[in-house]
Amino acid sequence: MGGYGDVQMIDEDGKRVDGRGPGDLRPIEIEVGVVPVADGSASIRWGANYAIATVYGPMEAHPRKISRQERAVLDVRYNMAPFSTTDRMRPGFNRRSREISKVTSDALESVVQLELYPRSKIRVEIEVLCAEAGTRCVGLTAASVALADAGIPMTDMVVSVASGKINGVVVCDLNKEEDNYGEADLPMGVLPNTGDLVFLQMDGDLSPEEFQQAWDYNVNAAQAVHEIMVAALADRYGGGE
Amino acid sequence: MANPLVPGLLRDHLSELADRDERVDGRGQWDGRELTIEVNPLPNAEGSAKVTMGDTIVFVGIKFQIQTPYPDRPNQGGLMTSAELRPVAGRHYEPGPPSPESIEMGRVVDRGIRESGCLDVDALCIIPGEKAWQVIIDCFAISDDGNMFDAFALAAIVALKNAIVPAERFDVGEDYPLPISLMPIMCSYHKVGGRFVYDASREEEVGGDERIHITLGDDGHVHSLQKGLKGVFTAAEFDEIMTAARQRVSELQEIVNNL
Repeated sequence: MGGYGDVQMIDEDGKRVDGRGPGDLRPIEIEVGVVPVADGSASIRWGANYAIATVYGPMEAHPRKISRQERAVLDVRYNMAPFSTTDRMRPGFNRRSREISKVTSDALESVVQLELYPRSKIRVEIEVLCAEAGTRCVGLTAASVALADAGIPMTDMVVSVASGKINGVVVCDLNKEEDNYGEADLPMGVLPNTGDLVFLQMDGDLSPEEFQQAWDYNVNAAQAVHEIMVAALADRYGGGE
Repeated sequence: MANPLVPGLLRDHLSELADRDERVDGRGQWDGRELTIEVNPLPNAEGSAKVTMGDTIVFVGIKFQIQTPYPDRPNQGGLMTSAELRPVAGRHYEPGPPSPESIEMGRVVDRGIRESGCLDVDALCIIPGEKAWQVIIDCFAISDDGNMFDAFALAAIVALKNAIVPAERFDVGEDYPLPISLMPIMCSYHKVGGRFVYDASREEEVGGDERIHITLGDDGHVHSLQKGLKGVFTAAEFDEIMTAARQRVSELQEIVNNL
């Protein structure tokens, strides 16, 4: 959070730099089954973000020491491609991508019915090809769709959205400028069918009222994103909810 | 490269097909898979391309950095190519440091582009001895169904041809299109069932032997060659694939020129 209070990001009409109102999401497009060699896959364009998630498995847990008697292990990796950012990103894991991989894995483990596949492994790969703020939410959402495409039983799909604060105004789904100059960021992972949460992070500064507003934005936006996810799956497999 | 469950059976099958002049997916010996090329799908790269060949999908993104020129070449910029085969692209990939295969891929793609002279390294100099552009070609696989070499090389030249030098962002003048004068194209041939075929699928790679990569530039000039994996080939076989490569390269050059 930069917290540069002098940068004007909300105009007199309450419109944001990209013309959105405070509660509006960026445009989202999801496509299912984009990687033919994977067991499940999805691509997602969310604003200028572009990410691809693939799922392999359930397969033999390898190396064997990671194998668990009573359930499958989930092996989740989040990575940003070297050309995904304005300045080139050096290939390889860093502390940030390791942390995001871990919290993404923790979120997905809460919904994937791992106990159905003892001693096996399910691999989830999230690759960000173009980054424009909110890539962890975009990646987690894409991973949920890819898991559904792979036919892995889940209690629900995780929908992830971030809200935050810019120029003292709480806004939904921060874009790159807002993320750079904003005063707070609250990414959440919501289960749309129950309203339960499986992923939560926050940094910055929010008053109790602002916090409640950001929370409500996320919960409402999650329903809208969920509809896009379901429509993308229905587009591939037919039918609906 | 992971071993198939029944490597012997696959090899026998491919060899029986080859005896009948057939391929496992019904193609002819010199036929490529269906090819689509998307220009600049990635807005944060200065130039990019997505290439789909059958079920093989790759992205290439171009990034620029400013570096100090090498002391022995104070008037030249630089070129760097890296290929990443991350676990996203196939079930047989493991996470970890770059594999020898991905390093070979990056280097072979690099040589074809560098040696063709398509990139004028002198034009990449900003202040002699002080500042020059480094052009970075990042090859990124999304779906590996064989012949990543050709997919990467094709995506790389398309991305370069559509790249914009981000001079404004680095405070060294106005943005301008990266000048690319020539067009190196790679064609790869795999020995499958005892004969060479063009554009092998992953099944053919796994059940085949050696591979040969040929990069040709304008007017049929040869710019890079690479023989990979265990196997023996004759001069006559090489002649045959070189003839096939000349034909295919001119077809691909026309496709790229008409994008």
